[in-house]
Amino acid sequence: MIELLRTAAAERGEQPAVVSPRGATTFAELLTRAEAVAANLVARGVGRLAILDDDPAQVMALLAGSALAGAEACVYPLAASDEAVAEYRERFDHDHLVTTRSGLVDAGATATADLLVDHGEPVPATAPDDASLMCMTTGTTGAPKAARHLWSRVLLTTRRIRPVDDQMWLLAYGLNQFGGLQILIHVVAAQTTLAAAETFQPRDGLAAMRRWGVTHASGTPTFWRFLLIEMDSDGGDVPPLRQITMGGEAVPPALLQRVADRFPTARVSQIYGANEFGQNVSVRDGVAGLPVSMLQEGGDVVFKVVDGELWVRSRASMLGYYGQPPIDADAWRATGDLVEIVDDRIEFRGRASEVINVGGVKVHPLPVEDRIGQIPGVALVRVFGRPNAMVGAIVAVEVVPESGHDTEEIDAAIRAACADLPPASRPRSIRFVETMGTTGNKLTRGGTS
Amino acid sequence: MGSPRSQAEETIKRFLSRANKDADVTAETSLFADGVGLDSLEIAELSSMLEDDLGDDPFSVGIMATTVGDILDYYSAEEQPSA
Repeated sequence: MIELLRTAAAERGEQPAVVSPRGATTFAELLTRAEAVAANLVARGVGRLAILDDDPAQVMALLAGSALAGAEACVYPLAASDEAVAEYRERFDHDHLVTTRSGLVDAGATATADLLVDHGEPVPATAPDDASLMCMTTGTTGAPKAARHLWSRVLLTTRRIRPVDDQMWLLAYGLNQFGGLQILIHVVAAQTTLAAAETFQPRDGLAAMRRWGVTHASGTPTFWRFLLIEMDSDGGDVPPLRQITMGGEAVPPALLQRVADRFPTARVSQIYGANEFGQNVSVRDGVAGLPVSMLQEGGDVVFKVVDGELWVRSRASMLGYYGQPPIDADAWRATGDLVEIVDDRIEFRGRASEVINVGGVKVHPLPVEDRIGQIPGVALVRVFGRPNAMVGAIVAVEVVPESGHDTEEIDAAIRAACADLPPASRPRSIRFVETMGTTGNKLTRGGTS
Repeated sequence: MGSPRSQAEETIKRFLSRANKDADVTAETSLFADGVGLDSLEIAELSSMLEDDLGDDPFSVGIMATTVGDILDYYSAEEQPSA
């Protein structure tokens, strides 16, 4: 990571690496800070650290500096309460926390500012080959885990990235998320600029797109759904995006089309990846799902389908979850994504953990969600299992209606749209809500809730 | 707002109407094949509607209501002042 940053600083030192409401940080400034971080970590003998910092430019410096120092960094989610931070520190054995949160600094954590300052310590020349980092899962289906990665594997994708001009990338993921880390790495490798909004909420993301002239944006389908609602609601300009990427959740065909229609100047692509296998694959043909050609051997990431579930083998695979036995990098791993091969496409049916067991019949929520998402007046939809004493669980639907639409009409349209589904798959509970809960800009579904 | 029993009656009729069943029922009407003919998933749906509208429902507490009256009696019992 530090080599990429040193190259960017040498070739485009005065170009902003990050713009945010706090101001701009150039590649040269970022490198200076990262080297100070590395020097200070080595001098203090810090081998592992947690990072909780609301300034993305500082997090970038801390991550790059940690890599140079050979210290394993782990970025905590900004939404974590002090109690959650204490729990993470205990679970992941983080003796050192670097943060901007004053209450935690008062309680003994290191202030970020202290690490970013040059205290005259020697700067390491190169990062060790086995430099590692930890990346937490979002914890949508339980307590977050932390995947341990080698920087050298995570950076494999940068072999294909060349410096570009005139690009501005939106940071729509937290830097605690694997998606955020991927964007950060891409921006440094491509020597372009990262635009960070006030928060990771779609409303702030939209404002950042307009303020800084964002050209490229990557987010979860949930992020894009909410962003479209914000755009429709405020009636403002449509940002002239050139590239839109969706990933982190299954991408419904209807959403792909909706986003393409609203951003006519953008190329819309999907990425499929996961923290655990350390890399993303990109699909640019505008069709939902993956091409079956990805089942062929070759490349850094290969897939196979076992009993309806997608399995992956990745050269960039994580080392393992912290606190659990290491995994073999050459081993196949179940992704937890249920799929079906339809013609020449691997279509996603949902997460294994999201399957709803209706009286012994397994129902995948995504196909139901996709039908309902196409009904006029449905702004957002979530399909999940609702516990039921008679049959274990029933298919339940929550809908955020678009303003001006009659909920009784939407209710009737939902029932009509699902009338030809098998009886167990038909929604048995339909509720209208004002908004929906998300974790890391991913919709919270769960098998039953 | 009416009593829980009358609210439950309203919910049952609304459900039957939406499910294309005969909503002209009495307390003696069977919920199953010899009455309105609900299957297990329809009973589950009715259970969730009653829970949404009234806060709880007989099926969720283990009462196997077989007639409309069994459901209404559950809510009548809730209205009785405790001793």
